[in-house]
Amino acid sequence: MDVAVITPTLRAKDYKSEVAPVWCPGCGHFAVLSAVTKALAHLKLAKERVAMISGIGCSSRLPAYVDAYGFHGIHGRALPLASGLKAARPDLTVIVAGGDGDGFSIGGNHFLHACRRNMDLTYIVMDNEVYGMTKGQASPTTQPDWAKSKLTPHGTGMRPFLPTAIALAAGASFIARGFAGDPNGLTKLLVEAIEHPGFAFLQVLSPCQTFRPEQKEWKHLVHPADTAPTDDPVEAARFIQADDGMALGLFYVRRLPVWQPQNQPTATPADLEREFVL
Amino acid sequence: MSTPASPPSTQRIESVAEFLVHALELEHESAERYRQLAETMTLHHNHTVAAVFRLLADMSAAHASEVTARAEGLRLPEIAPWDFKWACPGSPEVDCDDIDVSYQMTPLQAFELALFNEIRGRDFYAFVATDSPQPRVRALAAEMAAEENEHVELVTRWVERERMSPTRLPEDLDPPNLQG
Amino acid sequence: MTERSTLDGGAALAITGSGGSGAVTAGLILLAAVGRAGYYGLLGRSAGPQIRGGESAAMLRFGPRPIECMGDRFDLLVGLDWENVARFADELPLDRNSLILTDAQAGPIPEILVRSGAQVRSLPWKALADGQTEGRVNMVALGMVGAMLGLPPDALEAGARATLGGKGGRVLAHSLECIRSGYAAADAQSSSVPSSALAPAVARWNISGNEAAGLGGVRGGVRFVAAYPITPASEVLEWLAPRLELLGGSLLQAEDELASINMIIGSSFGGVPSLTATSGPGLSLMVEGLGLAVASETPVVVVNVQRGGPSTGIPTKSEQSDLNIALYGLHGDAPHLVLAALGIRDCIDTVAWAVGLAEHLQTVAIVLSDQILGQSRAIVDPPGDRAFGAGETPHLQRLIARDADPDHRRYRPTPDGVSPMALPGLAGGMYTGEGLEHGPGGAPSSRAIDHAEQLDKRLRKLTGFDYGPGWAEIRGEGDHVLLTWGSAAGPVFEAAERLRDSGTPTRAIALRLLAPLQREALLEAIGSAGSILVVEQNQTAQCFAYLHSQQALPAHARSYARPGPLPLRPGEIMRALTESAEREET
Repeated sequence: MDVAVITPTLRAKDYKSEVAPVWCPGCGHFAVLSAVTKALAHLKLAKERVAMISGIGCSSRLPAYVDAYGFHGIHGRALPLASGLKAARPDLTVIVAGGDGDGFSIGGNHFLHACRRNMDLTYIVMDNEVYGMTKGQASPTTQPDWAKSKLTPHGTGMRPFLPTAIALAAGASFIARGFAGDPNGLTKLLVEAIEHPGFAFLQVLSPCQTFRPEQKEWKHLVHPADTAPTDDPVEAARFIQADDGMALGLFYVRRLPVWQPQNQPTATPADLEREFVL
Repeated sequence: MSTPASPPSTQRIESVAEFLVHALELEHESAERYRQLAETMTLHHNHTVAAVFRLLADMSAAHASEVTARAEGLRLPEIAPWDFKWACPGSPEVDCDDIDVSYQMTPLQAFELALFNEIRGRDFYAFVATDSPQPRVRALAAEMAAEENEHVELVTRWVERERMSPTRLPEDLDPPNLQG
Repeated sequence: MTERSTLDGGAALAITGSGGSGAVTAGLILLAAVGRAGYYGLLGRSAGPQIRGGESAAMLRFGPRPIECMGDRFDLLVGLDWENVARFADELPLDRNSLILTDAQAGPIPEILVRSGAQVRSLPWKALADGQTEGRVNMVALGMVGAMLGLPPDALEAGARATLGGKGGRVLAHSLECIRSGYAAADAQSSSVPSSALAPAVARWNISGNEAAGLGGVRGGVRFVAAYPITPASEVLEWLAPRLELLGGSLLQAEDELASINMIIGSSFGGVPSLTATSGPGLSLMVEGLGLAVASETPVVVVNVQRGGPSTGIPTKSEQSDLNIALYGLHGDAPHLVLAALGIRDCIDTVAWAVGLAEHLQTVAIVLSDQILGQSRAIVDPPGDRAFGAGETPHLQRLIARDADPDHRRYRPTPDGVSPMALPGLAGGMYTGEGLEHGPGGAPSSRAIDHAEQLDKRLRKLTGFDYGPGWAEIRGEGDHVLLTWGSAAGPVFEAAERLRDSGTPTRAIALRLLAPLQREALLEAIGSAGSILVVEQNQTAQCFAYLHSQQALPAHARSYARPGPLPLRPGEIMRALTESAEREET
């Protein structure tokens, strides 16, 4: 085992900001926050070189709770904002966080294109199958017969969105699922996601204590994925389609070309102007 | 109790330094968790339970300071969060409980949660005190198990007192309504 | 009232043909040729929304002085064929002094054009083209028209080389043969329009409004663009994409406009001046993002190349009908900058200025261009080095936080409302950009005191800034005022000049900065004018209503507003002013 002297390296809690989370006690998102700070500490990333980007929703409050640069944008648009930032600033570690409504409903199109663009981003979706901030409506991942919302008194009647299947079909190069009840396993996945060169999609089952109290059963339902990560999309598709939605671990990881402009200036605007001169 | 992604470790703790890193992580995590619970209870206006958690956080923080003092001058290994030799996914005083945390938690529930955690902490030390192949580790772990047992006894008294005359929390007249 | 083009030695001509007939290519060559012959010129195009086919027309006006709009009529109509011409015949005003050139083999001239009384001459283009290898009617006609306009043959050939150079040597060689054959044949036909070539002191530019907008962006410092294709703005992006790479920047083609606006907010948050270009439907999708940029004080520039609306509207034709959405489209109290380019050349300076202002004031700048500016090309004098002070002094750059700053609160109120912006990488400056209302440090807040303070900060930084003289372009003196904005400036300037020439002293005021409105300066420029006419190309007099709402117009001001797609022409503006002034008197 490597042995090192205690140095003033940062502990996980040093990556927490002074802002107190608005989340409900018992919310799974606390564990995600903890995993994020542990992963940053483990990777020894300089806080000022990290940017946490989010949209709107309970989970999207996360950037304010991390002591790093952050942007709390608008509903569904965290991925494009993060993509623009990463395109302009490849030197930064850009982590995107949000919920199932933000990422799969209003931001669904961006999810598809972020997967296929394969920029070097980490995308954490805290999936609790409900809109928490707007008081408990069905989300794209809600089961069709969940009828607790006044908005859909008979349930949605729609098959749930399958985030990992969609991510694979859209071309994501890293697909994993973690669980808020397993913060250290989650931290490990998160570290792998951040280190993965390309778009890393990490679905986190994160129970909503307030609107989906039945999700406390998740801790008895989750189980480790029964196969090792594959780089074969066909094998991954087979696994994901057979999955009960409760398997945890890294399912698929593949080296694919990363979209990242790295242009060096070779001209000035004045040089460009010559093309107009008669 | 399920055992998700990180399977329980059966490895043994083999050096004082390694043991102290575990002890530090346990106490820091515990203090951090209680502090966070205290904060969120305050935010949700459950001040009674917030006070309970603040008290517990201070106890864990004091313990962490003691461990830090013991570790002074020692070269401590760095251990990745997922490589700690816990018997459950998180550190013993956090994340392994089956007790629901909610903004309507009663002081009794808070004490029960604390008792659950403190027992797990004590059991961890007690286990190392018998399991480690290193006599110095066993001795140190036994010492800390004894300290931790004092916490367990204290919290047990609180639980019993609270059971005798439970503090009643007012009914929630304003159900959850966050804005975003 | 006479039109300048016929007085000053120039001409206005249109080349029509079905899509694919080469009318637009012929127009591009002719524009390049008149530029090389020493003229200024303006080339507009009219096309249907089809990918290819349908109708198309190139409209060229040239002369010895800068050409800022299409005139009231055409001297020449070059009809390569007459398919679908009826669809845009109303864009081709002809009269008894006009001349229609065609080849009888192209079929009968549509009745709607014949009715104008224009003279008609049939020329043997088809026969001449058939005599050439891969002969093209449009090139033969081009050569012949060039000769009739008195253009030197080498200017035509240079124009062809510049325009067709990318098509390969064989195409160029055959085209040159056709042009020469047409040119030679013209001598036998006749020549009517005099030549008056002038040699410019400084080499002029041949540039489109969309290229000019792109150039203005990079001149202003833009190094990142994210955008989604849309007519008629795509050329801004197509011009920028390869050139940003040369400048060390990049362009990202987004999945939609919701993405593109948020992408540039992200890149700008990272410290890189950023821009997107779109048209009405895209702007509609972007407004929520613009509100985020306003609230989070992230500089972004949107070039909105307007087209006929609402909804999909008339994508290929011009209209100034997005002023309302640019001014009012954002929800909440969201002060931002709205600018309008006053001409093709002005697209360079206005966009560069917008970038400087957005960067300095840490806000949103929407620049309104439109199809007629964006997709027209012009021969213009080269622009100056700086746009209205952009880049001239450090004050038109972003105020970047440094580690040594004593107070790193991102949104702390300052005397001018602009607070230093920390860029990721600065250890002392970490903050979370916020679309939620926030306190000075950036933490979300719904307190009245924070809302009031931040609203005030975001408004004050815009209203308290000294924009200098660039807010408008003002020409001439007179008791009559023609007040306008954006692309309508071209015909308004010409109308005012012709009114002055004909004894009606008229001042033209064209607003470049629409928001925040420079009300005091505008009222001073209007002065005690006896008649004021607000001219714009939309149905509901959007600018007129806006100026009234800002109490920036005297009560007797009148509106001349009509929708597209027909371009505003100087003659109709002159008539409108005269009628409006007469009504005032009676």
